[in-house]
Formats: sequence, structure tokens, C-alpha cells
Amino acid sequence: MRETTDPLAERVRAAGPGVAALVAEAERVWRDRAGSAGGRGLPGGPVWRPFEDAFPTFYQFTNRPR
Amino acid sequence: MPSISVEPAEAAVPVSPWTGMRGVAPVPSYVVMQPTTLCNLACDYCYLPERRENHRMPVAVAQAVAQTVNQWAPAVPGFSVVWHGGEPTAAGRTHLGALMAPFQRVEHHLQTNATLLDDPWCEFLREHRVRVGISIDGPPELTGARVDRGGRPAYRLIMRGIEALRRNGIPFSALCVVSQPRPGLAAGLYEFFAGLGCHALGINVEEQEGVNTRSNAQDGAAVAEFWAELTTAWRADPRVELREVEWALRYLGATLDGRADELLPRRLDPIPTIGRSGGVILLSPELAGFSDPRYGDFTSGNVLSTPLSEIVEAATARPAGWIAEYLAGVQACRESCRYFGFCGGAHAANRYFEHGRFDTTVTEHCRNSKIRLLEGVLSHARDH
Repeated sequence: MRETTDPLAERVRAAGPGVAALVAEAERVWRDRAGSAGGRGLPGGPVWRPFEDAFPTFYQFTNRPR
Repeated sequence: MPSISVEPAEAAVPVSPWTGMRGVAPVPSYVVMQPTTLCNLACDYCYLPERRENHRMPVAVAQAVAQTVNQWAPAVPGFSVVWHGGEPTAAGRTHLGALMAPFQRVEHHLQTNATLLDDPWCEFLREHRVRVGISIDGPPELTGARVDRGGRPAYRLIMRGIEALRRNGIPFSALCVVSQPRPGLAAGLYEFFAGLGCHALGINVEEQEGVNTRSNAQDGAAVAEFWAELTTAWRADPRVELREVEWALRYLGATLDGRADELLPRRLDPIPTIGRSGGVILLSPELAGFSDPRYGDFTSGNVLSTPLSEIVEAATARPAGWIAEYLAGVQACRESCRYFGFCGGAHAANRYFEHGRFDTTVTEHCRNSKIRLLEGVLSHARDH
């Protein structure tokens, strides 16, 4: 296995418990949204997908129109 | 207020750990359609070159696109056809409906300035099950760049259209251009959009792009502080899906779990944009309508003479011209930028409009909307 280096990841992990707490809050928000999909998309539409459905042109966060 | 230290993106990455974003996928997850070049507004920062011309897409172009899309769509969950302008409602309901008619089993999306929306338009949007995105930059003092052709503020017209959406119970997302991200701005901005009733919000820091040649160089610490404050505002009331901040949070979570490399797509989405006359531009819708002595008109073919599937397959299997140069640029980003795992490489249009070519690396857009975003969110997490 080749060795890899990710100095940004090291900084994230070194940033302390605040990062984990913030991420945990966000994950709760995403679970709640998934549970209330019917109220967010079009009536009768498929289950809401966080990230993909709000901005289909943007969800990959690369090469998107505005 | 302590300023946020932003790591230089170009700092050497000893060995890149990132395995995504290699090559271009042969099948997209959405296509972008330009039903008309016309826009009824004349926003200061607009990048579109033909917005004062009323060139409408012939139905034959939509029919040709649909022949391929209707084959792709069953295999791609939520395959989307995105109607993007000009101002797509300026094409009129009858014509837009005729353009939509050939498509089957797709999600239609519409990005609009909202100024023409009324009850009949809302009925059209409901009938065609269109997901709506509106463009507004915040309260009147922040939406000042959005003006009509006479230079008059468009805010009142935009809000009238949004009121029609609310009245008719049509959900909508919002895109907001921020020209000068700075401390003190984010809280009020987020409060405005939370009150507006949009279910999702994307923040576009103004870019130097297309016919908008204004520099987008910003003070790095100020931009990072803007993102940090926006994170604070969202955390206090996360009712709006806040695209950039939540994307950063997803990356931070994946990093803590040791699976950050899974976030980037394995291959780039080709994102075919079909211009009003059938020309196909891959990977970068912002290049539509432009040409360059070195790269031509950036198109990979025309759907009126070649099936869209063949155009995409040929261009992705044997990248040439500006696309090959861009893929070399993505690889250069992978090898040189520590933010690549979050970003996936500088966008093609930003490379071209900032640097004049595609095989360069970090852009001002990278700095404003990727690097300083991640640093701002990280700073918030450290401080709270």
C-alpha cells in the first residue's frame, strides 16, 4: 500500500472536539431532513436527497453553472 | 477580532492521497439547456454574452437532446434537465413547454430571476413538476447589482415573483451572489433567506468570468471570517440547507471518519450544456457563447447533426483540445493542492477566465469559495 499524506486532514483532526461536535449537529439536521422529505420536495416526489436535490447542477461542487 | 489564517494552497503535498476525479464519465447525471439567450435584467456581474439577444432554442434541438436523455434517464436516479438562461422564463410558457415535452422520466429544474413569475407561471411549474431555484442576493441593499435594463433595482420585481411562488405553495431554493464577503455580513444575510422561505441556499462569491471582468481578488481573512460567521448563523437555526457550509461539514465529518477520499466523484460529470442552437459544451456551462483563437467555440459537436450520446462518448473517451488541457490541470491540482480532496480541482471556466488557459491550478474562485470556506468553517468549529 502506498503511503499517502493529507496535511489538511491532520489539521482537521488536530482542531479539537469542536469539529466533531459541529459535524454531529449537522448529521442530526440531515437525518431530520430526510425524515421530512415530503414537505420539502414536490408532493409525491421521491425521498429528498441532501446535497443532490437542492442544487442538481452543483452537488458535485465542481464545474457548475450559476 | 482575530483574523483567520489561511493555508497557502500551493504548499507541497508530498504524495496525493486522492483517487477521485480521474477522467470524464461517459454518462452525465444532468444536462443544462439554454431555452433562450435573452434576459430581461442587466445585472452588474452577469457573465452571459448574449443576454440582450432573443435567440430561442428551436424545438428540434430539444427533441434531439431528448433522444439521448430518454435513454440515459432510466439508469440515473434523479436525472435532471436544468433550464438555465439567459432567463428561461423569457422564452415564454408555450415555448418552454414545447421544449420540455420530448423529455420523459426526468426532473425538470429551472433557475430564474423570478421577475416574470405569476400565478399562470406557477400553474405551469406545478403542472410540469419543475423544481425552482431563484436568484436574489439578499435584502435590497445587497441585491442592488440586480437591475433591469434601465438600471432600476429589480428587487421589488423579484419579491413579487417569490410571493407568487409562496402563494401557490411552490417550494424554491435560492442562489445568492456575494460580491464582497466580509465580517459582519453573514448573520443578516442568512436571516433574510431563512425568512424568505427558501428550503436551500447557495452562496456564489462573485467571479471574474465571461463578460464580467471585475477582479474577484479578495482579502483572504475577511472572506474566511464571512464563512465562519455564516456557519455560526446556520448552526443557530439550520432550517435552510446551506450548500457551501454543509458541503464543508460533510467533508470534515468524512475526514474524521477517515473516508474523505470517498467524497469526490470517481470521474468528472461531463455536464453537457446545450446552447440554443444545439451546440454542446461539456464540463463548463459558462463557456457557452464564447470563442478563443486557441480553443475555438469550446463545443464538442451539435445535436442537430450528431446524437448527444455520441458527442459525449467521443469527447470523454478521447479528450482533446481544451478538455485535455483541463484534465491536465485537474491532475496538476491533485499533485499540488492540499485542498484537492475537498475541491476536486479548479473549475474550468475559472481557470480560463482568470488565467487564459486550462492547465493552471489555483484560482481566485478556489481561494474565495473553497479554501477560505473550509478554513472559515474550521475556524468556527475551533472557536465554538
